[in-house]
Amino acid sequence: MHKYILRRIGIAALTLLAILFILFALMEFMPGSPFNDEKLSAAQRALLDAKYGLDKPMPTRFINYVINMLRGDFGVSYNISKNTPISDLLKTRLPISLRIGGQAVLLGAVVGLLLGILAAIKHNTILDPLLTVISVLGISIPSYVFALGLSYVLGFQLGWFPMLYRQQQALQSSVLPTISLSMFTMATVARFARTEMLEVLGSDYMQLAETKGVGGFALIFRHALRNALIPIITVLAPLIVGLMTGSLVIEKIFSIPGIGQLLVQAIQSNDYNVIAVLSFLYSLMYIGIMLVVDILYGVIDPRIRLTKEANTVHE
Amino acid sequence: MNNIYINKNDIPSEFQPEFLANDFEFIGMDALSKFDEVGKSQAFWQDVLSRFIKNKGAVVGLICIILIISMAIIGPALNSYRADQQITGHESMAPRIPGIENIGVFNGRETLRTSTGGKEINKYADVPDGENLYYWFGSDVLGRDIFTRVWTGTRVSLYIALVAVVVDMLFGMGYGLISGYFGGKVDMIMQRFVEILNGIPNLIIVTLLIIALKPGLLSITIALMITGWIGMSRIARAQILKLKEQEFVLAAKTLGARDFYLIFKEILPNIFGQLLIMSMFSIPNAIFTEAFFAFIGIGIPVPGASLGTLISESFKSLTTHPYMILFPVIILGVLMLSFNLLADGLRDAFDPRMKEM
Amino acid sequence: MKNRNKLLALLLVIALCMGAAPALAGGVLNVQFDVEIASMDPQIATDGTSFEAQSAVIEGLYILDAAGSPIPAIAESTSVSEDGLTYTFTLRDTVWSNGAPVTANDFVFAWRRLVDPAVASEYSFIAGIAGIHNADKIAAGEEPLEALGAVAIDDHTLEVVLDIPVPYFINLLTFPSFLPLSEEFYLSCGDRFATSPETINCNGAFIVTEYEPAANTIVLAKNPDYYDAEKVALDGIRYQVIKDSQQAMLSYQAGDLDVVTLAGEQVDLFKDDPEFQNIMAGYLWYVSANEQTAGLENANIRNAMARAFDKQAVADNILKDGSIPADFAVPKLLATGPDGLDYRATAATYLATDKELALEYWNTGLAELGVSSLSYSLVVEDTESAINVAQFLKAQWEDTLPGLTITIEQMPKKNRLDVMREGEFELGLTRWGPDYADPTTYLENWTTGHTNNTMRWSNLEYDEIIASATKGELTLDPVARWEALKAAEAMVMADAAIYPVYQKGDAVMIKSNVSGIEFHSVGTNRVYKNAVKE
Repeated sequence: MHKYILRRIGIAALTLLAILFILFALMEFMPGSPFNDEKLSAAQRALLDAKYGLDKPMPTRFINYVINMLRGDFGVSYNISKNTPISDLLKTRLPISLRIGGQAVLLGAVVGLLLGILAAIKHNTILDPLLTVISVLGISIPSYVFALGLSYVLGFQLGWFPMLYRQQQALQSSVLPTISLSMFTMATVARFARTEMLEVLGSDYMQLAETKGVGGFALIFRHALRNALIPIITVLAPLIVGLMTGSLVIEKIFSIPGIGQLLVQAIQSNDYNVIAVLSFLYSLMYIGIMLVVDILYGVIDPRIRLTKEANTVHE
Repeated sequence: MNNIYINKNDIPSEFQPEFLANDFEFIGMDALSKFDEVGKSQAFWQDVLSRFIKNKGAVVGLICIILIISMAIIGPALNSYRADQQITGHESMAPRIPGIENIGVFNGRETLRTSTGGKEINKYADVPDGENLYYWFGSDVLGRDIFTRVWTGTRVSLYIALVAVVVDMLFGMGYGLISGYFGGKVDMIMQRFVEILNGIPNLIIVTLLIIALKPGLLSITIALMITGWIGMSRIARAQILKLKEQEFVLAAKTLGARDFYLIFKEILPNIFGQLLIMSMFSIPNAIFTEAFFAFIGIGIPVPGASLGTLISESFKSLTTHPYMILFPVIILGVLMLSFNLLADGLRDAFDPRMKEM
Repeated sequence: MKNRNKLLALLLVIALCMGAAPALAGGVLNVQFDVEIASMDPQIATDGTSFEAQSAVIEGLYILDAAGSPIPAIAESTSVSEDGLTYTFTLRDTVWSNGAPVTANDFVFAWRRLVDPAVASEYSFIAGIAGIHNADKIAAGEEPLEALGAVAIDDHTLEVVLDIPVPYFINLLTFPSFLPLSEEFYLSCGDRFATSPETINCNGAFIVTEYEPAANTIVLAKNPDYYDAEKVALDGIRYQVIKDSQQAMLSYQAGDLDVVTLAGEQVDLFKDDPEFQNIMAGYLWYVSANEQTAGLENANIRNAMARAFDKQAVADNILKDGSIPADFAVPKLLATGPDGLDYRATAATYLATDKELALEYWNTGLAELGVSSLSYSLVVEDTESAINVAQFLKAQWEDTLPGLTITIEQMPKKNRLDVMREGEFELGLTRWGPDYADPTTYLENWTTGHTNNTMRWSNLEYDEIIASATKGELTLDPVARWEALKAAEAMVMADAAIYPVYQKGDAVMIKSNVSGIEFHSVGTNRVYKNAVKE
């Protein structure tokens, strides 16, 4: 087991390095440069390029960057916040994004599960197709349309929640963004939960449990849900990462000082270091989540671990 | 009880095995499966059909898709406007549909929620020859007919759908099959590559790519090609891992079938249907991705239109002229809904036991 | 289960308490920014948003009054030598928010930083435009910092030596790049300078109380130590960054904001509101036609294209924000001449929309070129207004001029600037914002070989006039200079070197209880020193 985990971590680290290299290569192909104001002369741009080491070839910059990164230096922003170390930019923004993303995952997963279970239990009533349509709608409507609709109705017309994010009212003002952001997760989880639950409910051991007299909540939550949960966890992992990227639209609409917004801005203004760090961060989270899910899986379900180990040994 | 041992000589001569020179030659797929197909295939398709028809959602989805496709084909030709034709003075006119206008909706009136109170306006009354003017879905801020633009934009979304399926079936399936079939070193290298590609947030790689290539339909196609196939390759790989140890594969292998023959002629026919259905699920995703690009400003270049760019353009007028976003959102929603329902229905019809991947 | 309910109830109570947080005290002005502050470092910042916030908290030698004329601020009195080359400023007794006095050395240090190649300020060229002795050479690394023509005679006396008499020198001093900076304070901040309220030293009407890099909320409070503090009515300013203009308007209507900028369509909803205002901005949007493109070297073709679109419709139907059609190369309300009148009041207009005349030019041009059709690509940045204008131009051009086909290429602004600078474009929709209140801030761009002469237009006579008006003998004769500049503008326009489209206007909403905000089209766009919120 330890060997397996170590191996996975090693691969993850290599993957990250490869990703960083690809990012640098892609940025190299991006037209324009960060110092490109209409007021700048050619000499000045050369001066700026030299100051930030942008005049060096890409491989050199890549190696320098990795070395600096290992020392904990992520570089400075060129444009969005001139000369500010990126760690400073992230210090306040990352927690906000993580929190709203976390809230959205929580809300989406819990409500989605409940909806899915409800649809599965009431399989033969009108409720099931109704919930299916609702969940498909959740997948089909772009989150930004949803966000503005919410903010117009609940925020502006009814005045229940603030329309804009305020650090001082962090909880209240994150209600609308959380709901908008969680829609996709909610809908996806609901769909999966429904299928999984249907399958589990139809299985022999559930029928056994039922004949033994286990009923109601206990039946659903203790017996059925537990078995249906494992596959749901798998879809949740990529959804979490999807949320982070999806958040940049929500962040723009609700004026949330998070990292999604920062990334789009960085891409548009060729703020290389910011792009690199944020992309790297996303990759890190993604690979991290995948790694955790993988390892957790092995812990939860020994069969998977065994086949995986068998596979790796045979490789 | 006594006759446990049968003497070869006890068997009548007509039943005695006789080996011919070509007995151990591989006779190929056609000869092998003929027997199976004749009796069963009819029943199978009938089964599928009846299961599919029973699924009302899927049937409705299919009908909607057919309707939308036909409208995408003929819609832009139904009135005299061109998709990029701007008529100065006809900016932001509310929808007006002949016939329906008499019952009080879509009559060209709209209420502006100005800061000094609601103000009902009818722009058709202000422009010359306004009585005979009809913008069925209204006109946009530049004076273009939204009806024509919506159906022109639907074409793009349908094209994206097609690209998604083709990419899935060509790249994803092939990649997954090869990786899964060969296993070992090949699989490891191929899977590490997928892992790396997958580790870069899709959005970033694609955004950077589109910017590097200049935004446009071609770059969006390429972007979808680069990342769209990963999910399918996983499914294909999982499927082939299941199948490759099965007896019929082993048998064909023993008979000397070569690897690619095995993959594409023996295994693929068994899973192609499932994979095709699974690729239907990537359609909504692809359409959504295009809409997302549009929102962050790297969609189809102006004055072209896709449902995504139409939504993100009219999003800017949501509080002023909400009707502009209404129709693109409805059509995008219906399209995504229909593809989801259809894919669901097809999957259930083909293999009721199949799980969502 | 019961415990969980309690927890939920508790959370709800907490949420409600947070919702009931007290509103900010009266007298704090809530202002919308549509982009974050890029830097609070005056010598590093390049954008209007940063300039606005900096000018609210730091004051230089001169500031602009409500009418846009420079008035002394930290400079108490100024004397100019007869040849117009030496300025001696006597400084007022003022203090920084850290208690230290504002001295002449603070200016010298800041200005040296501006031209220091190691700092690599993007605005270092402005010291050269101001004509400060050796500024350009230091920026190029040819002279040491100490050679700069700005010297502290004593703590209260600053002497500035110019290479040439620059007529708008005092006006330039209102530009935020010339704001002072205390060396001692700067060094004490290390590399954290201008990243938090503690590392921003203020001597202006306000001080920073809440700020972090790329913050969405920036809070300023009234500066009690400001020399003119009794005239400052506001208790503070709270900037809120809201990028989506519809959201901004919703917040405005909900009472969270006092000043917001409207975008296009929303103007329809608010133009009848008494709180609605149109502010003329300094930006001129124009199409640059690359003369290295086949066909565009023909002056008739250019004259045709420049007249072939309905400029009034661009302003009224597309932008709606108070922008005006531009029949000129130097915007309105930019510069005041020796006659005391606005430059545009006495200058002629050019290239007005005239589709029939355009067609005549077009046919002549096509005949000269011996072709029957032309097709060009138009590069445009991916902002809403630019894209809409580009689409409108395309439709109008193709409509008016038979045989012309336009394709639009949209890209981020940085890329557009890049391709235009490199000359890898055919037509480009671009803009220029003024750096100082003089026509040369525009006209100099179009001299031969200038970086911003993206169309590669060249007229030697024009070059001579501009050289003389900026560094030559015309600088000594303001009246002749003024007339020469008008003649130069006429040359650009007669050749249709650029196709002017519109001069940008801003549609803003200001709450009726707020007054006294001063708007400028040059340098600092909004000044709040004299603003009142009742």
